Amino acid sequence: MSEIPAHLPHRYPFLLVDRILEREPGVRVVAEKLVTSGEPYLQGHFQDRPLVPGALLLEMLAQAGGFLEAESLHGSAIFLAGVQDARFRSPAFPGDRLRLEVKAAGAFGGIMKLSGIVSCEGRELCTASLLVKRP
Amino acid sequence: MSDLKLRVKDMIIERLKLEGMTPDQIDDGAPLFGDGLGLDSIDALELVLGIEQVFGVKIEDEAAGMKAFKSVQALTDFIAEHAKV
Repeated sequence: MSEIPAHLPHRYPFLLVDRILEREPGVRVVAEKLVTSGEPYLQGHFQDRPLVPGALLLEMLAQAGGFLEAESLHGSAIFLAGVQDARFRSPAFPGDRLRLEVKAAGAFGGIMKLSGIVSCEGRELCTASLLVKRP
Repeated sequence: MSDLKLRVKDMIIERLKLEGMTPDQIDDGAPLFGDGLGLDSIDALELVLGIEQVFGVKIEDEAAGMKAFKSVQALTDFIAEHAKV
């Protein structure tokens, strides 16, 4: 899946998925985000020690989750409805190639539960369950 | 209180983190959503997952959910009817 912008409504500077590496529709998505020193949020977070805000790691997982149901979403956004059991184990820095792995953990009544892992070179940086709502 | 109903109530309390609530505080006949326990659509998904995990019963769609989530009594009956024991 090369046409990322066709499947997500997010745009620069808030499009936080660069590539889809693996995808089983409705089951599992593995995406990638390359963190560059040009990311706007790194200018102030923090000046002396740029690192990706933890909340944006959750956003990356949510955006990657949008590709689980790409066929039926037709490019519209899914919305975060909840975050459970978020753990930030280690920060992400400029230069990191982040692997965003999202699995479907259940759905009912228009709400989906996703379990996500952000990792870099085999190290887990962040794990969380996300609840997202379809439009 | 029947053993199954007590287990259903325990599952609800644990899954939805209704801390400080005891099974006998949950009215058997009160609706789970809206005026009764006041649960929302995220709670519904958590219950669907909890029921599947604890009792091995799937709530396939919203129509089944409407029936099962009418009350704790309705949910207990639904599980008793669909559980493969």
